[in-house]
Amino acid sequence: MNISADVPFVSRPGSNLIAGALALGVHVVFVLLLVFGVSWQTQHPAPVMVDLWEALPPPPVAKPARPPASAPVKTPEPVKVKPAPRPAVDEPPPPKTPDIALEKKKAESERQKKLQAMQAVEEKARADAARKAQETQLAERKKRELLRQMEEEDLTRRMADEVAASEARQAKLAEAQAKLAEAATASKRQTEVAGVVGQYRDLISAKVRGNTRLPDNLAGNPQVRCLVKLLPTGEVQSVRVTQSSGNAAYDEAVVRGIWKSSPLPLPGERDARAAFVPELSFVHRPKE
Amino acid sequence: MNPDLSQDLSLFHLILNASLPVQLVMLLLLGASLMSWWFIFIKLFSLKRALRETDRFEREFWGGGDINAMYKEVAAGRGEAGEMARIFEAGFREFVKLRQQPGLSLNVIVDGTRRAMRATYQRELDSLESHLSFLATVGSVSPYVGLFGTVWGIMIAFMGLSSVAQATLAQVAPGIAEALIATAMGLFAAIPAVVGYNRYTHDIDRLANRMESFMEEFSNILQRQATKAS
Repeated sequence: MNISADVPFVSRPGSNLIAGALALGVHVVFVLLLVFGVSWQTQHPAPVMVDLWEALPPPPVAKPARPPASAPVKTPEPVKVKPAPRPAVDEPPPPKTPDIALEKKKAESERQKKLQAMQAVEEKARADAARKAQETQLAERKKRELLRQMEEEDLTRRMADEVAASEARQAKLAEAQAKLAEAATASKRQTEVAGVVGQYRDLISAKVRGNTRLPDNLAGNPQVRCLVKLLPTGEVQSVRVTQSSGNAAYDEAVVRGIWKSSPLPLPGERDARAAFVPELSFVHRPKE
Repeated sequence: MNPDLSQDLSLFHLILNASLPVQLVMLLLLGASLMSWWFIFIKLFSLKRALRETDRFEREFWGGGDINAMYKEVAAGRGEAGEMARIFEAGFREFVKLRQQPGLSLNVIVDGTRRAMRATYQRELDSLESHLSFLATVGSVSPYVGLFGTVWGIMIAFMGLSSVAQATLAQVAPGIAEALIATAMGLFAAIPAVVGYNRYTHDIDRLANRMESFMEEFSNILQRQATKAS
């Protein structure tokens, strides 16, 4: 009897462990399903959040401005390198025009020479003509060399000019960049502060809106302007209606709502807080 | 900060942000669900094994083997024997013992044998049915427990709403979502438990029927043998 009572327990432990593992597995699968299901639902609003974050900070906006600015700085460098190949490209055209000029000159001089030679032939022997021809050739050569030198000088001057120009351009660009960066940081700072101020303005108005119980007889979208005196901690010291909506009950409700939402949320930054702390002009509309 | 992380955590976020009673309810339901699945798998294995052993024993028994040899075999390998084999062993042992005592009438011997078999049958049935009541309890109670957690969570969500003048859906939605997780967990625990309970009670009923009819047939066989011998 004892043995038969023990028997069921003999065969159990192994299968018990397997059963436990399987039970855990079922739960893990279920939790995974839930996690993936929930994240599928919440993924849709998330990209919007990401877009907002990317749009907010100005630095990425200022940075893209730099690459285009630095791009022209980089291009002069290839220009610097290019002058070396350029002479090879540019040199052929200058010789062409001089060639024509030379030919013309040659023709003229030859004519003259011919005339001279004719005269010389008449005056002197033909041997002189040959010498003179050599001389003219030499002169031609000299002229060519001179022209070439002129061209080369021109080229070097041009190159120097270009280098100087590019340097000047670079300097200008650097200046412009520096100015841009300064302006960007300044404007960044300003926009940041403005963004924080706007954000907290929205926060405050949301908080007050939540604490304001509107009167039932309110018609339209009347605006109330209040002057709220605040402590640096955000606690409300006094509230005064500076511009009534015309509906006394509604004015009262807004004032009560402001008192109820003390302390108001304030930004931690000093610059941004300056917009709120001593006194805050608060505008409230029932609908927005 | 990291959008991916915050999304993955959103479920856990909801659970962690829930109020303490709701969290306790969720914990309780998780425990119940784990236990009920554990028992479901234990029962699955043990019932499959019982069915297999019963089939094998019936085939052997009605295959026309020697009952004495079968008894010896079953008594030797007690650990592996199925429920029906153990009933057979208990009955036959009692029968042999009673036959050895002189001056006992046939009716007394057969009645004693049947009583011994019934006792073993009850014990086996009890061990087969163990844990089933837990499954039944989880199946019937955990939806209510989950509902309690949900009601509590929604109560708290609405209490928070009362302190705010302008009620928006965004102010109640997270509270209701986290409260509804409790109901989901309750149903997750209850549905398999109910299915398992119904399935296993049916299986056990059929096994019990087979064992009972075997007991009757075996006592008939023993009675026939005894009359033949005397």
